[in-house]
Amino acid sequence: MSQNILRLSAEQQFAEELEELKKQDKLKRPERWQLSPQAVVTYLTGGKLDNGFTVSPKYIGNRRLMEIAVATLTTDRALLLYGLPGTAKSWVSEHMTAAVSGDSSMVIQGTAGTSEESVRYGWNYARLLSAGPVPDAIVETPVMRGMKEGKIVRIEELTRIGSDVQDTLITILSEKMLPIPELNSQVQAVKGFNIIATANNRDKGVNDLSSALKRRFNTVILPVPDTMEEEVEIVQQRVASYSKSMELPVEKPILEEIRRIVTVFRELRNGVSSDGKTKLKSPSGTLSTAEAISVMNSGLSLACHFGDGSLKADDIASGLIGAVIKDPVQDKIVFQEYMETVLKQRDGWKDIYRACRDIV
Amino acid sequence: MPLHLLGIRHHGPGSSRHVLDALHDLKPDIILIEGPPEGEAMLSWVAHQDMKPPVALLAYVPDQPQQAVFYPFTSFSPEWNAIRYGLEHKIPVRFIDMPLVHQLAGEAPSAGEEETVPEAIAEKEEEQDVAAIRRNPIAWLADIAGFDDAEEWWEQQFEIAHHATGVFDAVTESMTALRDHLLPEKSRREVIREAFMRRAIRTAQKEMYADIVVVCGAWHVPALSNMPAQKEDDALLKGLPKIKIETTWIPWTNDRLSFESGYGAGLESPGWYQHHWTHPEDNGAVWLAHTARVFRRNQVDVSAAHIIEAVRLSQALAALRGIARPGLKEFNEATQAVMCMGDNIPMQLIRKELIVGHDMGAVPEGTPQVPLQRDFEQQAKKLRLKISNEPRSLKLDLREDQDLQKSVLLHRLLLLNIGWGQTQYTSGKGTFKEEWTLCWFPELTIQLLEKAPWGNTIGFAANAYLEHAAVQCTRLDEITGLVSKALPAGLHSGIRMAMKRMDELAAGTSDTSLLMGAFIPLVKLSRYGNVRRTDLETVNIILQSVFYRITAGLPMTCLGIDEEQAAVLADKIREVNQSVLLLDDAVLKDAWKDTVFAITGQTQAAPEVQGCCCKILYDAGTLDEAATAQAFSRALSPGSEPAFAAQWLEGFLKDAATVLILDDKIWHIVHSWVLSLDGDLFVTVLPLLRRTFSVYGNVEKRKIADRARHAGTGATHVLTVAGFDEARAARILPVLTRLMGL
Repeated sequence: MSQNILRLSAEQQFAEELEELKKQDKLKRPERWQLSPQAVVTYLTGGKLDNGFTVSPKYIGNRRLMEIAVATLTTDRALLLYGLPGTAKSWVSEHMTAAVSGDSSMVIQGTAGTSEESVRYGWNYARLLSAGPVPDAIVETPVMRGMKEGKIVRIEELTRIGSDVQDTLITILSEKMLPIPELNSQVQAVKGFNIIATANNRDKGVNDLSSALKRRFNTVILPVPDTMEEEVEIVQQRVASYSKSMELPVEKPILEEIRRIVTVFRELRNGVSSDGKTKLKSPSGTLSTAEAISVMNSGLSLACHFGDGSLKADDIASGLIGAVIKDPVQDKIVFQEYMETVLKQRDGWKDIYRACRDIV
Repeated sequence: MPLHLLGIRHHGPGSSRHVLDALHDLKPDIILIEGPPEGEAMLSWVAHQDMKPPVALLAYVPDQPQQAVFYPFTSFSPEWNAIRYGLEHKIPVRFIDMPLVHQLAGEAPSAGEEETVPEAIAEKEEEQDVAAIRRNPIAWLADIAGFDDAEEWWEQQFEIAHHATGVFDAVTESMTALRDHLLPEKSRREVIREAFMRRAIRTAQKEMYADIVVVCGAWHVPALSNMPAQKEDDALLKGLPKIKIETTWIPWTNDRLSFESGYGAGLESPGWYQHHWTHPEDNGAVWLAHTARVFRRNQVDVSAAHIIEAVRLSQALAALRGIARPGLKEFNEATQAVMCMGDNIPMQLIRKELIVGHDMGAVPEGTPQVPLQRDFEQQAKKLRLKISNEPRSLKLDLREDQDLQKSVLLHRLLLLNIGWGQTQYTSGKGTFKEEWTLCWFPELTIQLLEKAPWGNTIGFAANAYLEHAAVQCTRLDEITGLVSKALPAGLHSGIRMAMKRMDELAAGTSDTSLLMGAFIPLVKLSRYGNVRRTDLETVNIILQSVFYRITAGLPMTCLGIDEEQAAVLADKIREVNQSVLLLDDAVLKDAWKDTVFAITGQTQAAPEVQGCCCKILYDAGTLDEAATAQAFSRALSPGSEPAFAAQWLEGFLKDAATVLILDDKIWHIVHSWVLSLDGDLFVTVLPLLRRTFSVYGNVEKRKIADRARHAGTGATHVLTVAGFDEARAARILPVLTRLMGL
């Protein structure tokens, strides 16, 4: 059956690993946790179990961050994963929930239209009209169910939700209960309940958390990939799968081009050239790994459909400039400076310098 | 005669506590400490009431103060506490390491490189191979235990844990195991050092001391517990080179504790250790409360609830990682997650204020003179500069070597904020003259003493201080000022750091006029500065990057600015133009011309800037007579505002009276333009023109008037060429070439 499903949830996809971890896990588990905190960290960062079973890494990066995140869930603060778009926040939160509660299905997608009813509870109006306000007429939200069952609830894009709706979380997080004034009762959370929210650095201005709500969260910032090698690997993997699904023939090895794009992205993002000698301004765009992937993909499409099939500097240049120059005035200056101070001086990069120069 | 070996980690507060416990238990009658025997004479100062750690025991070669070793001590150093214990209980304390008379003699003095190798680095190089070996095995042990940081492992294993009894046995055992299995070969220096330590122990034993306690780095313990035959050691220690050494105490600071010197153990977090020393029982509440206070002082709101949550998180982290108590890393991570919204920028504040801290030590009056002071007096004497509190004026001709040295010394002192000399305005032309007023007052001695930790000679101190000051700069104009100040002081490593900082700040600034301000001293440095070749490359890289930043931003800067700003900008552009011409780099020149040309093409650019750019292009020959004339008439045509025309003209002709007098082409353009104005229009533009011409000198004005009168008659001077002998004229060319040095 599961073969027809487009995408399996984390606990389905990695059921074997979770099962194996559970068997090997001898350490103390907090109440209603499927695994001990240590085992959760192992599930996220990968490793070898005592019996030789290999757990694949879900998050490639700093293990300490995962430890902070998991440790937070054992305290009574909620967890906020913060970071640029494309830094695996939702991915981490899904897997963490799957490992802790064995169920990653309780999720609320935050949008500008997320209402209080979808955070706290709603009413089944037919039932409400016929029977009046009875417990039966309540439509439970994932938050309410999570509180009752002692499970982790995920909220995606918390800062997209309107401030008034956001603040309904304060009681839930600090008093661990959800009052239902209509029934003159309340739902008290059982142990094991907690919230993992994700939010986007760049959206800070949309609906920044109130300081009262902020205080209920411990924040972990997920950074962009640490090393060049890590990032190149991620891009290469994704580009390979893309060209396979789009049936684009890739003639010559494109690793060298990926390396160049990732270098440009990293240099601009970090504001310093890779040899550490020249400091640079950063453009206003995020320049995430995801964008590097799309630059490569569009370059490949260009080369395949309009070029001779082999990837050239011209094919990448337009995508690269499109990704870097989001603000036509400021970013252009930034990129020109970058071209003159870094690209131009670098051996073997003349082609990309000329290609960019022609367009800017 | 029991011998107790206490293996410690230098500066480890836990080790310190264990050492004190052990001393109280053992009640020894002599304490031997790993340290330079020359320092023994200085030990009595430790008990002085004005002695306030952090301080450093400084040993140096009197003739070459740059050859020196620092042994920093803090209130939580095990050695420091052992010394104090010894002094309080009136038992002898001895330093048993290899005497510095031999250690420093080993470092071959090389007068030529005096300026390039700061003492810390020289010392480090010496230590490097030893240190690498010494540290790696511990990292190896830490790795087995699942720690990625050796220091952290040591701290958790031997220091935070409170089982005092048996700690030293455990240390001895693990180090013995390490040395047996991992490192058969040791550096010669280390072998000698350990032989010295053994010899000192034998001496103490011979003197019939009953209970001997040895406090030394954990690494050395196994070597001291297995005594080889005395003969072997004696053979090792024969015939070592010797050199004269002097020692003294100097005040030290927390941020300099991280320097590696003496014990070869850098201390990354003195503030944390200090806290750990004073509050051994703290579960994090005290430390995090301090953290919260630092945040509050800096306008970051942190409540008590935050502290509670941070303590909880740090404990949860410690539990998750299977360590007994949360350490600094756990506290930092908890602080970042709970108090800073995951952001690591506020953590830098904590690092600076708390983890490193601002403690500055003090030494009692009467401790021997510091080398920096000695060096200063020696230099002053050598250069025949009298140190007196009577103001005296001094004229220097920088072409003379002696005078140049004087100037360098004074500039270095100024850089160190020791205002002995004040520069005076010099009359007369040329940049080779300097005039100073010298006046010494007692406060300057204190200033000088305060700079002692920066280095042992004025040169080193100035370099180190410049590096420090450069890092502190946050604005481009600050660093530009600093660089200009440092240029005449002839500093190398300091300038290097300043350059790096300048590059960083230049990247961050979008203010082109600041960039242009930075460009000018850079060019001076590149052309005239006595920098070494490698430095020159760095300077040129930065110079280029600053230059291209200017070219990228300048056309935009010329838009939408008022008259005053335009005047300032035009002056800056002229200066940059001068500098670019001075650099004489064809690529840069072309790029500069392109930029300037781009500005003239912008109709919205400020008129004065446009005029000035037009002049630059005319001088460079990019615009020929016709094009310049066209630009003139366009700018001065009736269609443009009179104010625009006047400002444009001012931009073109500012400080250029001689051009007007001597350059026929420009003269013709201006002259015919003035003639073309009809009566009314002339009256309109007259006051504006006056503004440009009134700043010219009287002679220049008269000459211009003369020319106008002659030209007005319509007489043109055409040089007729009759009977011109080309071959004969060509013969003089080689001579002219040689004369002009072309």
